[in-house]
Amino acid sequence: MKKGLKVIGVLLYLSATLSVTAEAGEKLLGDESDGSRAGSHHLIYLYPENEEGKKGNKITPDDKPLLPFSTRWTCGDCHSYNTVSKGWHFNAIDANVPPGRPAQPWILIDGATGTQVPVSYRSWPGTYRPEQVGLTARRFTKLFGRHMPGGGAGELASKDPDEIGREYISGKLEINCLACHNGHPGQDQGSVEGYAVQVSRENFRWAAAASTELATVRGSAEYMPDTYDPFMPAPLESKRLTPPTITYRENIFEQENKVFFNIVRKVPAERCYFCHSNSYLVEKETEKWTSEEDVHLTAGLTCVDCHRNGIDHNITRGYEGENCASTNPLAATSSCRSCHLGEKPSSIPVAGRLGAPVPKHPGIPPVHFDKLTCTACHSGPWPAQNTYLTKTSRAHRLGTINVNKSPEMLPHIIAPVFAKQPDGKIAPHKLLWPAFWGVMKNLPDKNTAGQNVTPLDIEFVRQTAGEVLAEEKRPTSGDWPALTAEHITKALKSLSSDKSLEGKVVYIAGGKLYFLDETGKLCQEEGNPAAQPYLWPIAHDVRPAAQALGVRYCTDCHATDAPLFFGAVAIDSPLASQRGSFKKMFEFQDINSRYAWAFAFSFVFRPWLKVIALGSAAIIAAVLLLYALKALASVVKALAERD
Amino acid sequence: MFRTVAIIAFIVTFAGIGVHCLVFPVTGERRWGPVHILRRLVCLFALFFIEQKLSPLGVLKKLVFLLALLCFVVLAVTGFYQRLVFGVPISGYFVMVHATFAPVFAICLAVLAVLWARSHRFERSDWPLLQRIIERVTLWKTSTEESVYKSASVVQKITFWVIVFLSLPLILSIVSSMFPLFGTNWQEFLLAAHRWTALVFAVVAIIHIYLVIRAQLKQ
Repeated sequence: MKKGLKVIGVLLYLSATLSVTAEAGEKLLGDESDGSRAGSHHLIYLYPENEEGKKGNKITPDDKPLLPFSTRWTCGDCHSYNTVSKGWHFNAIDANVPPGRPAQPWILIDGATGTQVPVSYRSWPGTYRPEQVGLTARRFTKLFGRHMPGGGAGELASKDPDEIGREYISGKLEINCLACHNGHPGQDQGSVEGYAVQVSRENFRWAAAASTELATVRGSAEYMPDTYDPFMPAPLESKRLTPPTITYRENIFEQENKVFFNIVRKVPAERCYFCHSNSYLVEKETEKWTSEEDVHLTAGLTCVDCHRNGIDHNITRGYEGENCASTNPLAATSSCRSCHLGEKPSSIPVAGRLGAPVPKHPGIPPVHFDKLTCTACHSGPWPAQNTYLTKTSRAHRLGTINVNKSPEMLPHIIAPVFAKQPDGKIAPHKLLWPAFWGVMKNLPDKNTAGQNVTPLDIEFVRQTAGEVLAEEKRPTSGDWPALTAEHITKALKSLSSDKSLEGKVVYIAGGKLYFLDETGKLCQEEGNPAAQPYLWPIAHDVRPAAQALGVRYCTDCHATDAPLFFGAVAIDSPLASQRGSFKKMFEFQDINSRYAWAFAFSFVFRPWLKVIALGSAAIIAAVLLLYALKALASVVKALAERD
Repeated sequence: MFRTVAIIAFIVTFAGIGVHCLVFPVTGERRWGPVHILRRLVCLFALFFIEQKLSPLGVLKKLVFLLALLCFVVLAVTGFYQRLVFGVPISGYFVMVHATFAPVFAICLAVLAVLWARSHRFERSDWPLLQRIIERVTLWKTSTEESVYKSASVVQKITFWVIVFLSLPLILSIVSSMFPLFGTNWQEFLLAAHRWTALVFAVVAIIHIYLVIRAQLKQ
């Protein structure tokens, strides 16, 4: 009897253990760290994607045709690709992911038609979804995939029959794990045959492999005929066309046809910089060697020291309140405050993480910390009377070939703009004045006023009004053409002649909405929500404490000409008549102009206030001391008399 | 916390003054008809005038006192209104008005401290009970000679010296926060010190003003 019970017990234990093991088995080898901080050695097989979109056979140097390795199947052998694909860099297309704080959008530009539209799959107010401006996921990927780490829109399956065929040829733009994690200096994101070029050639399937030091990709999927099969390539009729082909470097395959990848867990800042560089055009000719890097990088940190993630790649963005939108457990402790001040309730000291100095802020009234973000004083370029034109990697294709290096190159991003955030704090922002042709539907509901203008498909605008607008030549600098009211009138008339458009055709530029009235006269309306600028907060580059606003005196900000309140924010527009106009910074802060001026002016008298108050206190202290001494004298006298 | 304490403190102060007015009327009159109220108001209003009999120093004293009174009212309203009514810190135009009147008030306090200190000295006669106790315990015979100066009441003297004494932390707490000497924690402490000192200062000042008015009306 006892023996039978023991057997049952053992069986129950085994079944419990096995079920736990089965659950644990859902995680792949590389999904969970064993705790070692040493890097992992990645000598692995290469796997391609087969024609059915599944895992193909191991790649060997003798394969014909030689296929590019697929990150989904190669990296995905040990790391759960589907888990990674839900990370912040890849999940914009998922409508269920909270958009969080507005950030830099993709900017669709077409100087010839006077267009620069903020576009995003995330529902950031002021941006338009790609399909609203006529971009399918595939076109979006081709345009902007150069500065995307793959995944997201690059892997969306098209429903358009024409695109389905092209998708088979080009493949999907899988997550390019190596864009971030390749520690080899040969990782090529932007040069002649690098990742960006492969994306622009629609070599989506080849792009990740082409970006590494392991292979070279030639040819272009873009020009392949619809009948082309990359898995069974037939000779092409035209010899001028080169199909996409991959050549692996010699000697990279070892005996078992494994290949070594120099994978780093801690992504170097240079990898991040490819997509996240900023260039503030402070001087006439701003060069990167004349400007400073973020103080954190100079101090020896890297981007991923603060912007962290696990296997889910749900990286922390690092802004205050991110924990409301992110499931990353570190989201609540990855802001400036949490490292430098350690404000999170804790039983142990948490301030000064990563060696962050704990700031004292001597002489700064605490109200500043309620009304300003840390970045207001510490980030971005030192504000001047006028805002600067700013270039970013993603907006200006920085780091890729044939970039127009002119400062005036579109899109025109303006910074720093000190504007009030939804949380009521003033923060430095980058700003983009939207300019586009659209259709306005007269919606009676004021709440949807911002949604009543929909941008027109840029191709449609080119075809319909391109000729009229082409009358004005674009400067070689890449700046706007100097459009006139006449151009706008003619273009609006051309576009309005298309009866398929529902609503009134309008043009938005420089914060104004232009339309034709019933007599065909050009009218303009200011204050339409669709014409409002799109702003996103500046986080980097952080300046050292000694260069923070207010370090010299209160008048860094509280003077009647201080840029933080009274700086001129340039109004950018393709219309020549709008050039040179500006708004004042306080207009973005919900502050009354008279109040702002009066408050700033009061600081003229601040030194007097201090002198008067200290002088008065000295007199009062003297009187007190005098009468205290007199009282003491009386006591002494009384005692002496008694004695 | 501060809001609750401040509201209670002001209610208790004004209620106490009201009760004191009713129980111990200035002129001994206990009639509260419209004519009598009007008469009292006229008397109160007349206190703001400068009497012809006053010497130049007396005129200066009165003018400074009236200016200090005006500043005190403005500072109290601007300083406490937002905090007590809306529960938010002082901000906007209130700050500007507050900071404008504050240095004037500081000067007035300094002048009043100089001009009024002598008349608010404590004397042996101010403490008859204490004097008797001291005499019993120490077997000393204290002098009973009267002061040659016109003296205020004891409570008035106490409130005067409390005001003078509190004006120091009141001024220094806020002025020192304007210099790059103290970090955020100390800044918060200084602001709290200014706030709480201002509350006690205001309550004591209200009592003092009430006593001054009573004394004037008695005359």
